[in-house]
Parts: sequence; structure tokens; C-alpha cells
Amino acid sequence: MEKAIEITGLTKNYGKHRGVKGISLQVEKGDIFGFLGPNGAGKSTTIRSILGLLHFGQGEIKILGMDSVKQQKEILSRTGYMPSEAMFYPTMKVRDVIRFAADIRRRDCKAEAEKICEVLELDTGKKIEELSLGNRKKVSIVCAMQHKPELLILDEPTSGLDPLMQEAFFKLILNYNSQGTTCFLSSHVLTEVKRYCKNAAIIREGEIIRADTVENLSRSNLRKVRVWEAGEERSFSYSGDMKELIRKLNETELSDVLIEEPSLDELFMHYYSESDAREDRKEEVL
Amino acid sequence: MTLLKHEIKMNLKTLLIWTLSVGVLCAGCILLFKSLEESMRGMAAAYSDMGAFSAALGMDKLSVSTLEGFYGTEIALMFAIGGAMFAAMTGASMLSKEEEGHTCEFLLTLPMGRRTVIFGKYMAMALLVLLFNGVTVLLILTGFVGIGEMPDGKTFALYHGAQLLMQLEIGSVCFLISAIAKRRQLGASLGLAMLLYMADLMCRIIPDLEDLKYVTPYYFSNGADILAGGELQGEMVVISLIVTFFSVLAATVVYGKRDLAA
Repeated sequence: MEKAIEITGLTKNYGKHRGVKGISLQVEKGDIFGFLGPNGAGKSTTIRSILGLLHFGQGEIKILGMDSVKQQKEILSRTGYMPSEAMFYPTMKVRDVIRFAADIRRRDCKAEAEKICEVLELDTGKKIEELSLGNRKKVSIVCAMQHKPELLILDEPTSGLDPLMQEAFFKLILNYNSQGTTCFLSSHVLTEVKRYCKNAAIIREGEIIRADTVENLSRSNLRKVRVWEAGEERSFSYSGDMKELIRKLNETELSDVLIEEPSLDELFMHYYSESDAREDRKEEVL
Repeated sequence: MTLLKHEIKMNLKTLLIWTLSVGVLCAGCILLFKSLEESMRGMAAAYSDMGAFSAALGMDKLSVSTLEGFYGTEIALMFAIGGAMFAAMTGASMLSKEEEGHTCEFLLTLPMGRRTVIFGKYMAMALLVLLFNGVTVLLILTGFVGIGEMPDGKTFALYHGAQLLMQLEIGSVCFLISAIAKRRQLGASLGLAMLLYMADLMCRIIPDLEDLKYVTPYYFSNGADILAGGELQGEMVVISLIVTFFSVLAATVVYGKRDLAA
């Protein structure tokens, strides 16, 4: 399978501060890939390194088979990017910003831009300074999609969009994806990753801690355990040898026990908060 | 070309304000000359005999009682400072405004490459300075037509050519500052324009500071010197071109290697 994004050993530091450390990641062409992590984990650093806004110390990034440093211009011409902060020139009108982006790309994107504006109900006659964050996000969506890119890089795209617009936005994403566009979606919102992504990676403190299909990521040996002992209820999460858990539970005077799979949200919280998610160990959470 | 047009459009309002302010001020003063001529005649001898002060303002070379002298000493001063401030401000905001306004991610992720961005923005700055000079010179010539007396074409062209070079040098140095800084350095750029003017005055007044003439571009583009002597000092022009070239080169290298803030 051809790769849309191949990151190998990416390391980027900001002076003494950590950026990302030895990140390796692969996104297949045609995928909708979720990139999850808490604030400051290194999601934007990774994306900004992919796009050439940051110069990284070590590693290699290939986008659509091209070197991200040597063939940056070609990569950007085939990519659409939606930053988390949708900022444009305040005195320009929406239609002028959209046309400016299309003109730089030397493409006639008028028909596609009109179509997206209609879907998103975007007033192109307004000035940028008159727009709310949600409407600026819509301008960003148009600029990222109007040239029908092969790869869409979306950094927290739904923040600021109301639920109806989020729905419309994902319809657009699915539509472009059905035409072959690969989507790399950085997000905090687990439900949208679960709903729309096939594969995902979790980044924490500058390192990828898991990368797999969303289905496999949802499967884990992490269990939520609830025990009733002497009339009191106690709950904790457990990830480790089940025989050991049952042996320990046998040693206590239980009146009842419930062992269940955690929800996806709980699972990701577990990934985010664990000091080493791969190390099997028992941890009392509640 | 798209970026060049975009920058011109974005800076049009500032260009109009500065061009009209400086141009109308200069043209207005020329139109006032006839009514000031008499009083100027009385003051000319005193002005030319004030030692270092006269030398600093070029009044030892030109008489303020003549139109040429009035233009070379009084109006040239307003034009030089106004032009240098406009060039400095334009240069200083060209690149850094993108980071300050958080538009960097939008602009730099369009398929141009940083060198094209730098080239487009520098060309926009140069064109804005050129337009400023073109329109102000037209307004100044309108002033001359208004009083029915025209300046010597060759020295007038030489003076305004030197002013253009001076403004491009200051604009280029400020363009380099803009490539380094994350915020618009308007204070620093205007300060630089004034500091270089002060350096010109100092090197004319204090013999020990004479070498400052190689540092400040106001020296070779001085109105009184050019209008009185009718020529430019070649070595100074070469220094100015070298400073301009290396400023743009350094801006290209620095901006090309920098991590850009969101």
C-alpha cells in the first residue's frame, strides 16, 4: 500500500524545551488518520514539521512519496492545510482571501470554492475582521479544500464549529476521501476520531505511544473493576495478568464484582495519563 | 506576481497617506517660496555664517534666498526624513507582520517556497518606495510649475535618484530586521532612520566623526551637496549598494532557516 505520510525518527527540540522525540508514523493513501494527544503533546510540532514551517534536527519526512525538505513546494501544491488557529488578513474580504489562495496555486478553484461556501453557509462578502472564530474556520476549510488536494492536514478542525457545521464539515471530508483524498486529522475529540478515522496514533510528551487501527486501539487488556466489599463499592482500572487479578480478588471478602471493558474515552484517558502505557501494571484510578 | 499585487494592495492606504503628506508638504513649501523670498534674502547671510550649523544643513553651499538653495536645504530635509521613515516602516513590517498577525501558517503553507515569499515581499517594498518617490516628485514638480520656475533637470534627477538609493538601503536594512524579528519593529525602524540622520549631522559638525559618512546613507544623498556640486560620490553609492545587497541576502538566509511561529 502506498504511503501518503511517512515519518521516520522525527526529532525536534525548541532549544532546551522538548518538541517531539524520535517519532515514526505511517499514513496510507486514502486513509482518514486520527492523531490524538493532549495539549502540548507535540501534535502541532509534528504537523508544522511536515509542512516545512519548522526545521527539524533529526529524521525524515516523506509526503506523497516526496522529501518534505527538498520538494516542499510540490508537496504544498498537492496538500491542503487547515491550521488550528484560522487567521487571515483582517481587512480583506472572505472572497479575496479565497481567491488569493487559489491564485497562488495558479488554479481556477471558483466552482469548488462556491460549492464548499454553499455547504458551509459562508458569506464571502464580509471582511475577515467581522467574522467569528467559527466563520474564520469555514474560510480555512475553503482554502484547504478548494483545489481538491490529495492530502488534507487538519489541525483541530472542529474547534469553534457548531454541531451542525461539524456534521457538514465531516460530510465534506468523507466526500473528498471517497474521491481518494487522504486525511490526517489532529484532534482532542475522541468521538470524531472513533466515528470517522480508520487508523490513529496517540502522542504524549513528544512520543508516539500507540499507532494502530481505531478498532485495535479500542481493544485493550485494560479493565474497569468494581467490587462490593462489606457494603462499600470500590472501583479501579486494571491492566495486567487476569489470573493475578482473580487470585487477588479471591483473597478478599467480596459480595459482588463487575469487570468490564472501558469506553473509548476512558481508554484514551488511560493512554494520556499513564507514565508508561505499555508497561503492564495495576493502577487504582478511582 | 500574486504576492506582489497582494502586498501593494495591503499597503496602499499607508502609501497614500505618506505620499500625500510628504508630497503636499514639499509642494506647499515650494509654493510658499515666493512670499518668503524677501525675508529669506535677509536671513541668507546670517544662515550661511553660522559655522558648523551652516555646514550641517548645507547652508554654507547654497543660499536659502534662491529657489535652488531653499529646495536643497529646507525641502530636501523634509523629503529625506519623510522618505527614509516611510521606507524604514515598510521594510520593517514586510515579513514580521505575518508572524505578528498569525497569518504565517496561511501564507507559508501555500505552494510558493520561502525564497519566493522573500523575493515577492522585497519587490513589493521596493515598488512601494518607488511609487512613493514617483508621486512625491510629481507633486514637487507641480509646486515648481505653480511658481513658474523649474529646477535644473540633471541635478534634480541626480538628487532624487540618490534619495531613492538611500531609502532602498534603509528599507533593506529594516527588511533584514523584519526577517529576524517575530513582531513588527516599527519603533526600531523609525529610530534607525532618525539615528542615521543624526549620524549625518554629526559627521558634518565633528571632524573626529567624519568616518560616519561611510555609515549613513544621508551623507551621499544630501540635497545641498548634490544640488551645489552636481554630482554623486561614487564610493558612497557603491557602499550603499553593497549594504542593500547584503541586507537582502542576509534576510533571505535568516528567514529561510528560521522556525516560524504559529
